[in-house]
Order: sequence, then structure tokens, then C-alpha cells
Amino acid sequence: MEEKVLEILEEYCEEALDYTGENMMEEGVIDSFTVINIVSELEDVFDIEVDAKYVVAENFRNKEAIIDLVKRLLDE
Amino acid sequence: MKKDFERVVVIGYGKATGEILKYTADRQADYGYRLEFIEHELHALSITGQICEERGIPFSSLPDKRKLGAYLGEIEEKTLIVSASNNYLFPASLVERENITIINFHNALLPDYPGRNAPSWAIYQGETQTGITWHYVTAGVDEGNIIIQKTCEIGSDMKAYELAERLMELAYEAFSECFDAVLSERAEAKPQAFSSNRRMYRSTEVPGGGFFSLKETPEKIYRLLRSVDYGKTGVFPPLQTEVDGERAEILRYRKIAPEKKKDEADMLYLPLADGSLLKIKYSSRK
Repeated sequence: MEEKVLEILEEYCEEALDYTGENMMEEGVIDSFTVINIVSELEDVFDIEVDAKYVVAENFRNKEAIIDLVKRLLDE
Repeated sequence: MKKDFERVVVIGYGKATGEILKYTADRQADYGYRLEFIEHELHALSITGQICEERGIPFSSLPDKRKLGAYLGEIEEKTLIVSASNNYLFPASLVERENITIINFHNALLPDYPGRNAPSWAIYQGETQTGITWHYVTAGVDEGNIIIQKTCEIGSDMKAYELAERLMELAYEAFSECFDAVLSERAEAKPQAFSSNRRMYRSTEVPGGGFFSLKETPEKIYRLLRSVDYGKTGVFPPLQTEVDGERAEILRYRKIAPEKKKDEADMLYLPLADGSLLKIKYSSRK
């Protein structure tokens, strides 16, 4: 699963792979339009629904947070 | 230092607003105006607050229309209000004041597609080109004189959020080109040429009425799906269709190569003219 998430990030936001901080959005690594693309890809690849309540900066603060989000949604 | 407008107020959200805030902050030293930002619509992924904090720009959050109107109504200095991506309609009492000049970014080539969600309507109508307009604000919605316009292509697979992003980039480019002329009141604004069948698009309207029939061409369905696609931002309610006599809500869609077709529950595959398939995931509503 993690590998697939990282592949998606590589396609839409390669910088996110090397980012080690705590807020990719505020630091300009990722923007809201890229988040839309990533969410769309995650839904398709993992056949999950990412509800709007999860599409917040906290869940996209770094690659680990995105992986955690997918894990939670797969466990639901 | 050139000094005419004493105050510049930026209202909006999103990428264009962020860039405009940075630009107007950088130009303060040239003109000596006081800059401030007003957030009227709240967005989960907005970073305008962060930009204000970093650059020391006074920031107010005024989601209530009446409070925003009252706040703006108290402005006494000569002020330029920059309405970036903003859906607040300025009242005539404010627009007509001598000390207030308001410019607005509209995400279409006015006089075409006035009103709300213009990128969606342009995609839905099958336009191959659209653009942005900066115009002076008058009491009528999107009716003011045009300051500057820029055009862009609408790609055949472009979704509403992708077009919106491109238009925001153009909005910033155009703003930086016309800012000096606006501030020095030298902008050559042109009146709009309205047609007799001018249609105003309202916030409650959804392309296709929010529904499609599977009897429609896959191309038309794909256009509709792309036209309402703003990710999870909830600009429009989910589209609906009817599958085997049951109402179904569209969850997501994607254009895929035929060899990627899989037998999956609640999935439609419609053949597009270019040989690809339109894959549509739905949930039945019983």
C-alpha cells in the first residue's frame, strides 16, 4: 500500500517524497489543486471514498500523513 | 513615492488571491498604501492566512455578509478593493461611493458566462477556449468596464478544477500587468458589449440539472462529469443517473484504455469516440 501511495506522490508531487517537515501546504510543496489530483488517484487505485472532511491540510502535511489517511480509510 | 489610493483591501480565496496578496505587499513601498486582507469564504486548504502572517498583512475573517458590508461601509479613505476569487456581491451603496474603487476577477471572457461557476459552464457547453477578465465593479453583476482579459485553451480532458487553476494563474498575470494603471487611474477600461440573450449563471444552477441519462453520448456525459469536477470542495452536489431503473449517485469517473477494464460492481464503462473508455463508479440509492 505504502509503495502505491509513494508512486502516486511521485507522479503528482515529486517534492513530497523528499519533504521531511510538518506542513507541505504552508511551505508551498503541495497546493490545493495537487491535493485534488492525489485524492482522485487514491480513490481510484484503492477503491476508497475520501470524504471531504478528510481533505484538510493536517492529512496532507507530509507523505506519512497521507499514508496514515489511506490506512485509516482502508480499515473503515 | 506615488500616493493616490491610501488603502488597498484584498478579498478572496485560493491561488490567485495568495499571489495577489504577495504582489500587493511587495508594491506597498512604491505607493505607500495600507494593505489588508479580508477572508469572506472559508476554505479548508487555504493558505492566505499564512501569507498574511508571514508578510505582516492585517487579516480579518468576515464570513457574515452583513458584517462584511458594515466593515467596508465604514471605509473613509480613498480605497481600492481587489475582489480576487470572491463571491460576495458588493452593494450599490458601496460601489457608488466616490472614495471606493472596486476591481473584480471574473473567470471567463466577459460578457460571456457572467455569474457563478463560469469554468464549469464553459466546459459543459463544449467551449475550446475561455479566459479571465478583470473589470471595474458596478451595481450590476459582472457588468462593469473591462480592464484586461487573457485567454486560454480548454483541453479535451480538462476538468473544472484544472481549468480553474489555469484561470487563477492568468488572473494573477493580468493583475500584475494592470495594477499600476489601475492605481494611477490610467487604466483604459472598455464597456462590455452585451447581447440581447445574455444569461446570468446562478449559484444554484448545476450543469445538466445535475443528472444525465445513459442514452446521452459518452462524450456529452464526460463533458458534464468534467464540468462539475472540483474534487471534494462541494461546489456542486454529486451527479446522478439512472442504472437499471434505479437512481444512482456518481462517486468518481476516469478515462481509461480498454485493456484496463475490470469486472467490478457498481461500475459503468462507456465507449468514447477516441477508443478509450469512460469508467464511472456509482452508488445505488434505493
